[in-house]
Amino acid sequence: MSDLDDFKATYFDECSELLNELEEQFAAIEAGERDADRLNAVFRAIHSIKGGAGAFGFSALVGFAHAYETLLDYVRDGRVELTDDVVVLCIRANDIIADHVNAAQTGEALAADYGMEEKNRFDALARGDKGEDEDLGGEMVEEFDLDFTPVMVNLGGDDAAEDSADETAMALDSDLTSALDETPIAAEPAADVADEVAPDDAFDASPMQIESGHWEIKFTPHRALYARANDPLLLFRELAVLGEFHVRAVLGDVPPLSDFEPFAVYCSWEITLVSSTLNEAMIREVFEFVEGDCDISVAQLGASVMLDVEDEEASSPAAEAPASAAEPANDADDLLALADDEVAGLLDFDQEETPEPTLAATAQDSFEEPPALSFAELAASIAPTPVAKAPPPPKPVAPAAPASAEGEESSGRSVGVQSIRVDLDKVDRVVNMVGELVITQSMLTQQMDENLRVRYTELVRGLEVLAQTTRGLQDSVMAIRAQPVKSVFSRMPRLVRELATKTEKKIKLETIGENTEIDKTVIEQLSDPLTHMIRNSADHGIESPEKRAANGKSEIGTIRLSAEQAGGNILIIVEDDGGGINRERVLQVARDKGIVAPDSNPSEEQIDQLIFAPGFSTASEVSDLSGRGVGMDVVLSNIKKIGGSVHVRSWTGKGTRMTLRLPLTLAVLDVMLVRVGGSPYVVPLSSIVETIQCSRASFERVPSGGQVLQVRGEYVQVIDLVERFELVSDTPEENRFVVLCEAEGSHKVALVVDDIIGQQQVVIKSLEENFQSVEGVAGGTILGDGNVALIVDVQGLKSTIVHKNAA
Amino acid sequence: MEALGMRDEIGDKAAVAAHNSLQLIAFSIGEQTYGVEITTVREIRAWNGATPLPNTREFVRGVINLRGTIVPIFDLRARFGDGPTSPTKNHVVVVMSVGDKWVGILVDAVSDILTVSRDDIHNVPEGNSVDTELLNGIVTHDSRMVGLIDLHAVVSGAKLDG
Repeated sequence: MSDLDDFKATYFDECSELLNELEEQFAAIEAGERDADRLNAVFRAIHSIKGGAGAFGFSALVGFAHAYETLLDYVRDGRVELTDDVVVLCIRANDIIADHVNAAQTGEALAADYGMEEKNRFDALARGDKGEDEDLGGEMVEEFDLDFTPVMVNLGGDDAAEDSADETAMALDSDLTSALDETPIAAEPAADVADEVAPDDAFDASPMQIESGHWEIKFTPHRALYARANDPLLLFRELAVLGEFHVRAVLGDVPPLSDFEPFAVYCSWEITLVSSTLNEAMIREVFEFVEGDCDISVAQLGASVMLDVEDEEASSPAAEAPASAAEPANDADDLLALADDEVAGLLDFDQEETPEPTLAATAQDSFEEPPALSFAELAASIAPTPVAKAPPPPKPVAPAAPASAEGEESSGRSVGVQSIRVDLDKVDRVVNMVGELVITQSMLTQQMDENLRVRYTELVRGLEVLAQTTRGLQDSVMAIRAQPVKSVFSRMPRLVRELATKTEKKIKLETIGENTEIDKTVIEQLSDPLTHMIRNSADHGIESPEKRAANGKSEIGTIRLSAEQAGGNILIIVEDDGGGINRERVLQVARDKGIVAPDSNPSEEQIDQLIFAPGFSTASEVSDLSGRGVGMDVVLSNIKKIGGSVHVRSWTGKGTRMTLRLPLTLAVLDVMLVRVGGSPYVVPLSSIVETIQCSRASFERVPSGGQVLQVRGEYVQVIDLVERFELVSDTPEENRFVVLCEAEGSHKVALVVDDIIGQQQVVIKSLEENFQSVEGVAGGTILGDGNVALIVDVQGLKSTIVHKNAA
Repeated sequence: MEALGMRDEIGDKAAVAAHNSLQLIAFSIGEQTYGVEITTVREIRAWNGATPLPNTREFVRGVINLRGTIVPIFDLRARFGDGPTSPTKNHVVVVMSVGDKWVGILVDAVSDILTVSRDDIHNVPEGNSVDTELLNGIVTHDSRMVGLIDLHAVVSGAKLDG
């Protein structure tokens, strides 16, 4: 079972990627890029989700995805016009698919009728079209389209899955039978086929009497099947267990001995199985393990005949080809055996170019829908495929069948970048080790004094090379983890849509710089904060359309989400053009809740930051979306956890801008090493503005008893780390240093330390892993001598001061 | 009869795990011996200093580097309210896993490995909540009392305001 769980996990990974891709594609489609490539990408994504869902037995997801896919298919071949309404419906459908996937992943059940409305609309759209196209075989497409049967991958006795497979297979069975009943069958070809495959069977010319238990299987192994040490005999034995079994080898392709190629495959088989209890899934199950390595067609005799007739009725070019399946079948088999990947790729390409929309569509359906495979095979045998060796047919139609397995592969290949899926833990381990290596290397370099340099020139040179290589290694490893923020940004349009609906506002989301790359762990931590921030903007920031109109703004509010790199940091900015923060109200609420002391008078900027205080909410009613007072403090704590900071600025009536400043990487930090009360501390270099000797600094007293520092006409709050951390200074006042740091929002703070030791790179280690977070400390790091140094949380120190004053 | 009655009251834990013996690492703080279950102990190392953590309670001695991870050290003497230990090189840090975290406790010395029967674990006498909070039970070894440390209780409440 753990194997199955692994597969499932992979499937859900893929789903989330595919869902992201869907968002992306539809963002472009919504913007007007309605070309075939995009639709194909959407189709592929939905199809992949559906395929996997079928394999795992997520029937609700399969059902919905299938209806969606049908619609997309019609859109693709032009039978349903891609109007704005359809686009909106599709976007909604993506959300529903996402919910289904989520439900399947968490095991929660969605309401039975969830997405039904949309599904019905798909069906209605598809049906509305059917009437016009009936003469082109539209009905047949419908028939096979809607009766999609998932091919079950039974990976270890998942009973429920098995059951549902049986169920669907049964359903298919009965559908085929009913289709049989409805369709008039021409006796001619039926007799032909029957003669060929089951000469002994009293095969009545009257179609109504065909039993449902006659199955014809064409089995054409590829070379790969033998290469994987599979033996057709074993497969036949398994089949023989299922019912009355006849097999006939097709040897027509065996060349004269002079042309005989020892490793080529010349032989194929035609098998007849008679059993009343048989269904297609059972037959396919026998071939399950050789699926990709052979061509199999499974046809219930009646069904395949029906297809013949349909083709004739459609008077498509395919029907011009000889209708008796027997002779060309050999040719087709021959071709199938010959078709290697390249040919398959070609065929796939050809097929996309085919100027015959209906046929292309049917062929497409048939090769993508397992139960219809029989049709595809048949179609192929009727219309010889345009491969070099075969005489060119009048028109290159429906060459889809041989591409069944390889076709998908090759289309995937042309799109995908070569990549491997690696467990993030493994990458993390490499990153950590490289981090340690960087530190060891810098420690070694520090050990080199002048004497050593003169005496061991080779050693020095070696160390220099080592330093370069380490840097290169570090950059490469970081590049592995770097990912575009797109993966998070692409989840936001859906959120905004939902928020807009719930709040009855009109909101447009703009994203900028979504290709900016950040460390994967940072990206993972970004999703929650961004969700909260956007929710906050939509709920509190953007005003109602009426109010916006009254204020002379466009009715449609805009939330702009942007990412950019600024030095060693990434800035993520969430900006809205709403009403801005209502400072009076924020202050009032903060006072009521005791977050701010009644007598204190925070500055405007300080008030803005109050929205991040735990338990703070101005919403007078708790709404669905926000107002419970959790949310923005989650933003702050999540961002702090990954070493970033948050800053908010607001302009009354014009909007609010929240800026997240995030480190490019979490692995290595450039720091200044200082000494405070005998212990080593490090201050992130990115926050340091300058350092000043205490003897040359001009401190002033302020009424609270604290100190301020005057730097170039600016007064800066002073925090003596020795006092703040309740340590004892071992250094006379005049020898101490001021480290001038810039906290968020250009606020400076002057830290007083005992000594400055130097600069270095460190690997950030979590204190919370084995302990808990500590006020004023952002984490720890291990120095070259093995001791632990603590990382000063500049922003945290500053905000606790505000807190203390307020309290 | 009296003794049997006591047995019954020793608690569900002992009753359920009857006949099971328990191995303890015993260590001393001053004159008193304490023990922790051997399976929780990851390693024992000599005291080699720790980086003090600001804004924490007195019994949080600081953090050390244990092969690349940062592990907090708790001063058990201080945790018991007897003031901070003045550690020397002879003092010992016992590194243990508590839940999914690794922590070290600073003790005077590790004395022995004891095998005791679970049946012999006595309840901590009611009275002082500090005792019942920090000890899981008491066993007798060589007619001396060994207090079984409740590690979860020891490491909790390390923050100044919590």
